[in-house]
Amino acid sequence: MKTLPLGQFIPGDSPVHRLDPRVKILTVLLLSIVILNSGAVEGLVVTAFLLAAVVLSGLSAGRIAAALKPLAWFFVLLFCLHLFFTDGRPVFAILPAVTHEGLERGTAVTWQFVALVVSAAVLTMTTAPSELVGGFEKLLRPFNRLGVPSHDIAIMVSVALRFVPTLLEEVERMREAQVARGADFGRGGLIRRLRKMATLVIPLVLCTFRRADELALAMEGRGYHRGPRTYLRELKFTRVDYAALLAVTAFLIGLEALRFLPL
Amino acid sequence: MITAQHLVYRYDPKDAPVLDRVSLEILEGQYVAVIGPNGCGKTTLVKHFNALLVPQDGEVLVDGLSTRDAKAHREIRRRVGMVFQNPDNQIVGMSVEEDVAFGPGNLGLAPAEIRGRVGVALETVGMLRLARRAPHSLSGGEKRLVAIAGVLAMRPAYVVLDEPTSYLDPAGRERVLNVLWDLRQEGISVIHVTHSMEEIVDADRVVVMSEGKILRDGAPRDVFREADALRAVGLSTPQVTELMGRLRALGCEVRPDVLSVEEAFREISALVGTGTGGGR
Repeated sequence: MKTLPLGQFIPGDSPVHRLDPRVKILTVLLLSIVILNSGAVEGLVVTAFLLAAVVLSGLSAGRIAAALKPLAWFFVLLFCLHLFFTDGRPVFAILPAVTHEGLERGTAVTWQFVALVVSAAVLTMTTAPSELVGGFEKLLRPFNRLGVPSHDIAIMVSVALRFVPTLLEEVERMREAQVARGADFGRGGLIRRLRKMATLVIPLVLCTFRRADELALAMEGRGYHRGPRTYLRELKFTRVDYAALLAVTAFLIGLEALRFLPL
Repeated sequence: MITAQHLVYRYDPKDAPVLDRVSLEILEGQYVAVIGPNGCGKTTLVKHFNALLVPQDGEVLVDGLSTRDAKAHREIRRRVGMVFQNPDNQIVGMSVEEDVAFGPGNLGLAPAEIRGRVGVALETVGMLRLARRAPHSLSGGEKRLVAIAGVLAMRPAYVVLDEPTSYLDPAGRERVLNVLWDLRQEGISVIHVTHSMEEIVDADRVVVMSEGKILRDGAPRDVFREADALRAVGLSTPQVTELMGRLRALGCEVRPDVLSVEEAFREISALVGTGTGGGR
């Protein structure tokens, strides 16, 4: 019911689950660069890599499909745009808009987006939100001296994530309160329904501000201050993490470098 | 010791003061109940104890540290833990254990030390089992207990709770009250703001507030003896105390300062002359 975009964390004990979140974050970053630069050969290799990651993490095909589903229309649109609006040799004589080049581009671009979403989904499904935040925080920590407040960003993100379900519950309560007084959210045209949503948004915003006020007070009461703090779990690279990071980096950089070799 | 001296506070300079020259002392290890009708200044008073509010006139000292000294705020807030009314607005962590770790993390403790404290705090409130759960999946009573654990992980000498049992079902309420009782056994001072008279009959001390002033301050037995004074400011006494008062009005010879069902039973059975008291 209460899902975040891309796919919620699915607890597990797979090798991918156990990796340090930083390894996974860096892998996804590198992978994204490779995906956006890749041609057909790299594409196949990356697809194999992603498949391996999904299998290793023990995620079912259904889970991955569920992550892709909300974007299905976007993928179709993307594919069609390239299919119909790329100049080149027609595939069918009667349908000159559809070209070989269009088919190729459409497939390549759509694949790129699907691959990006799948890699992000594997990351978020195998990493607890708190670990994810912790991983980002630790990766950003070296930039503290450049004025990047990594600790404050981490608190901001984790508080935001923590309040998503609470606020959803609140919306539901408000909706029920209004339905109980005769409001009808189900019927009417789009504009009508949007206008009705506004009657939920305004109290929600006000309520959230009040919550934020109290939360700030509570945080202050528990000794919150800007800048460095410590955590329950301080992330630590194990030997496996080092090996995995090294292997993945070498693999992906090698893949990139391949394109510059005269083959 | 927390000392308030001639404490004055108003939210709006034009209004009458919410706290009007309040003075009181809270000793370490004491269980103090603060009661009074809505708007009497209870919450405002307790917010002064951990420097969330700073007196506009007068002074608040926590173990000798003045809340006026901004540099002392961190230490004051470590010593005086505060549990607010709505646990939803004070749980920061994405899981129970991470929330409890928030305070110790702010103190900059090492992960091993944090882990130890989180374990002890969750054990104290009986929530160790749910350490990994997400806060929004907990019941109201469990959320309260997590909020209390979050404060305990700071190893405070005083814990202030603002209506910790409101909106709870009887079982949740019982659990929270038992935890408060345990804290007192451990020598932690509990400052318990409440509307419920039944909850505070076991307190060491009851502070009754009305219109920004302290109306009564004493042992529950002494405070509840003066039912009329309490009624005048819109407060009631525990039901058994009320019952004894009515019997006395009828001319029955019962003690006026009865606080528990057990005591009331003994008085009445002595009166009726059947049971010999003691047993149920």
